[in-house]
Amino acid sequence: MFMTTNPISDAVRPRIAKGVRLQMDSATGKTVLLFPEGIVELNQTAQEILSRCDGRTLSEIVHDLAEEYDADPATLAADVRETLADLHERRLLEIA
Amino acid sequence: MTMPRPYTLLAEVTYRCPLHCPYCSNPIALPVAASLPATPKFHEGGCETTRRPQDGDYSNGELTTDEWKRVIREAAALGVLQIGFSGGEPLARRDLAELVRAAREANLYTNLITSGIGLGDDRVRDLRDAGLDSVQLSFQSDQPDLSDEIAGALAHQRKLDVAAKIRAAEIPLSLNFVIHRRNIDRLSQMIELAESLEAERVELANVQFYGWAFLNRAALLPTYDQVARAREVAIAAKARLAGTMEIFYVLPDYYESRPKPCLNGWGRRYLTVNPIGDVLPCPTASSAIPDLHFENVRARNLDWIWRESESFTRFRGTDWMPEPCRSCPQREIDFGGCRCQAALLTGNATNTDPVCEFSPNRAIVDAILRDINSNDAARDWTYRVNPKELAVSS
Repeated sequence: MFMTTNPISDAVRPRIAKGVRLQMDSATGKTVLLFPEGIVELNQTAQEILSRCDGRTLSEIVHDLAEEYDADPATLAADVRETLADLHERRLLEIA
Repeated sequence: MTMPRPYTLLAEVTYRCPLHCPYCSNPIALPVAASLPATPKFHEGGCETTRRPQDGDYSNGELTTDEWKRVIREAAALGVLQIGFSGGEPLARRDLAELVRAAREANLYTNLITSGIGLGDDRVRDLRDAGLDSVQLSFQSDQPDLSDEIAGALAHQRKLDVAAKIRAAEIPLSLNFVIHRRNIDRLSQMIELAESLEAERVELANVQFYGWAFLNRAALLPTYDQVARAREVAIAAKARLAGTMEIFYVLPDYYESRPKPCLNGWGRRYLTVNPIGDVLPCPTASSAIPDLHFENVRARNLDWIWRESESFTRFRGTDWMPEPCRSCPQREIDFGGCRCQAALLTGNATNTDPVCEFSPNRAIVDAILRDINSNDAARDWTYRVNPKELAVSS
């Protein structure tokens, strides 16, 4: 797994990558990521995470989600990291 | 089957182009003539008549600015989320920034697919201000001499300058290389060029054989050894650059044993509007499948064309499939492959794509591969020329 080799630090501020647009698909009401010659429809989890990638740190995103959904922060943090790593690898998300 | 909705509109705004690449997928025949049947063709709507436009600004037959704006609005209403401005060279249209603006107003993601020729500082600024989301810039190779030979024009240095202008304007940049026998051995150098230009994404697309590329196939098809080496290079580069630059490698399908899932299904995700307003399920359909009747946006709205027209319904879903597709577990994955390829290689668009190992026509593809691999000497190609009936960019 990526976490053993390249852990994403709590302090990173993930952002939607340049050239990628987060948008509502009015035909379905779902959120999509639009990029050159590609469209990804987000599931509920990814949508909740990405809508918070606005300059907040990873630990702030996890904290906000844990409060909103009354969930265990440790479990949530693993899910968030996995989603971010996946999107980062596809160059849809910048992690800096 | 529930009616699918389109996600992407390919707007081929002109066939005019300053380059002459022998692998161009544009039709070889005159597009205006090709869209006008020699004898009137009867269909549900009655007698089809000629539809040569009377418009003064685009007397060469191209849709006008207002017509394109209407097409863009109708596409957005149908569910389209993304538009690619293509051609020909879309910069040959002076109203391109206005069309980009209209697409952004319709909430579409806008991508310019360009050779870069004609992209000066003013136009980069105009396009950025219009809200252009991304530029996909084509290169012919990493070497200036080879590139210019392939393009049939002095283009490489101008493209490098254009890439710098796009970077300076902070517009996201993708690079596109069409891969064929003359440049496939330089795949790693082409990837390095994309890195040095700080592209977000590079598409390395093995040439697909439609239009001019079909005519020039013997000169363009790589050998088996070349393909095998290139695959290794692409896989290694993809791993090395993960998270830095997205690499999209399009396989050479003649060397595959299963067909590509062309368009992700006919009339399912994509639609193309060509320069004169014909609406195509696939950009190469008008030249590859001449017996299919295509509708025009001047006569019909996009919604009807997408839902009801013969051209969009003919190969939609799986009911049209013959064996071996009809009973194949892959039929909803590869959709029987490419209709245009079936038409071009077997003479019948309804056949299974002959790339498929289960196709009764696979021997056609094997014979082509045998020919190339038994004699890999360089062969001449024919350069693309602009359609004579369309005005050439001044």
